[in-house]
Amino acid sequence: MVAAPASDDPVRGSTLTLREVRHCFDLEGQPLPVLDRISLQVGRGEFVALLGPSGCGKSTLLRLVAGLDAPTDGSLLTEGREIESPDPSRVVVFQDPTLYPWRTVWSNVALGLEARGLLRTHRGRIEDALRLVGLTGFANAYPHQLSGGMAQRAALARALVNDPKLLILDEPLGQLDSLTRITMQGELVSLWQRAGFTALLVTHDVEEALFLAGRVIVFSQRPAHIKAEIVNARPYPRHRGDPHLAELRHQVLAHLGLDATW
Amino acid sequence: MSAVVDEVSRPQKPGFGFFARPATRSLVGGLASATAWFVAAALTAFWPDKIESDWAYTGSLAAACGALAVALALAAFASVRFTVFRRFQRLSPWLFVLALFLAAWEVVTAKLGLLPLPFFPPPQAIVEVVIDDWGRLAAGIFASARLLATGYFLGAAVGFVTGVAIGWSRLAGYWIHPVLRFIGPLPATAWLPLAFFVFPSSFSASIFLIALATGFPVTVLTWSGVAGVNSAYYDIARTLGATQRFLVLKVAIPAAMPHVFVGLFMGLGNSFAVLVVAEMLGVKAGLGWYLQWAQGWAAYANMYAALLLMAFLCSGLITLLFRLRDRLLSWQKGLVRW
Repeated sequence: MVAAPASDDPVRGSTLTLREVRHCFDLEGQPLPVLDRISLQVGRGEFVALLGPSGCGKSTLLRLVAGLDAPTDGSLLTEGREIESPDPSRVVVFQDPTLYPWRTVWSNVALGLEARGLLRTHRGRIEDALRLVGLTGFANAYPHQLSGGMAQRAALARALVNDPKLLILDEPLGQLDSLTRITMQGELVSLWQRAGFTALLVTHDVEEALFLAGRVIVFSQRPAHIKAEIVNARPYPRHRGDPHLAELRHQVLAHLGLDATW
Repeated sequence: MSAVVDEVSRPQKPGFGFFARPATRSLVGGLASATAWFVAAALTAFWPDKIESDWAYTGSLAAACGALAVALALAAFASVRFTVFRRFQRLSPWLFVLALFLAAWEVVTAKLGLLPLPFFPPPQAIVEVVIDDWGRLAAGIFASARLLATGYFLGAAVGFVTGVAIGWSRLAGYWIHPVLRFIGPLPATAWLPLAFFVFPSSFSASIFLIALATGFPVTVLTWSGVAGVNSAYYDIARTLGATQRFLVLKVAIPAAMPHVFVGLFMGLGNSFAVLVVAEMLGVKAGLGWYLQWAQGWAAYANMYAALLLMAFLCSGLITLLFRLRDRLLSWQKGLVRW
């Protein structure tokens, strides 16, 4: 169940292993390398942020993890099994909420259950998921009636209703205004703590990465390879003014070659 | 909350005190149109028709105009007390102008005989046709509606399925697209001579032609709707465990529906044109045939009556289609009003 307390089953997330993953795009017959031998190990229930300059290939990596595309070379495994196709245990929340405009919020959230034929038996989960993201009163609203933050919350509920073992977040807060963004960062942490999934977050916001993640992977320019790995052991809830986070921020910026402005 | 904006509220201009009150405006507007209809009635009744003509229904036309005038006047007075009647206020200018048009038509035809007969009959001649020949007209409407409905639904259904197939499947696209490109732009009426000897009856031939005229725009628009679906919609559904069937039925088709309705609208327009041509040239029934028949007998009043009924039929069907769309696509913002 979505809203079940994490104490029932403390570690419900899945592991993720990337081995020497390479990926190229085909650009008018020329191979354009995007990912350059990425290896990464993510443990159960971990919150890992992938940070890098925009256009470096982070989102491509997420599509591979989701099973939407296959890598040119290398392998991706979850729970020791190769990722070959999309699976509802690995759900993506994209930067754009992409709710279906012809469905109400309720039916948008119901999408995954409907697609798998579980709507009849697991109906109650939809209400739970809506409550979890604070959209209880908006079940019958259409997407065009929602604000940006509410739409992204609905997209989050649509993912969570499937009880994912791995939640893939592709700059989910990138289009929100800064105040909504701060609120939703806090909500994301508490959702993750309660539900116990493994979270993989792509972002280009250093503070967001440090506020949310236990580990920050810094990527280079395209073709992306892993430049650095920064462990952030600060307990949750974290505080934005924490001097330790400021120190980590300095380190991350240095890896990105942006520390001159510090 | 309705996504359809009913009446765009425009800023009210500062009025002239008393006249700006809605009750007053409604009363004055209603009485003005009532007066116009009353004038039309009086003109018809008391100005004798031109000597050598004998229009049987001059009195009835006058009575009908008079009755409308009384009804409008009553509605105008009622609107002072009951706001329900103020809705008619919007129609007042149109009713006023229509009364003037009718009066002018009456004067230049029945009263002064300025327009040549039998090409320009007076309004009472059309009333006469509708009353005396309603049996044949009703049969015509029924025949036309049956032919149109059969052909249109067949064409729309085949067009829809074909459009989804081309939009979805590469194989279907490879084989159907060139045929569509080559044959689609050909006006359906060009098939008419062929269709009339290939098909066993002119009725089935006409169904084929109407279906063809409807099917082409429905196919193309459905196809473009399906092909234009945001690929992120598919990504979302796939990561949530959707099957191919689910992607077609629950993602591609609903997302394409706004395009499909444009196709259905265009197809309906095409089907009217083919219907009338088919009825004029082959089918021995329907309003198109009636038009042709009336013209053959120089019965121009009958022709005008048939034209008028045809306009009601076509406009009514388009309205029906738009109502259906408004219902099904209420999730869309900023729909075009019909």
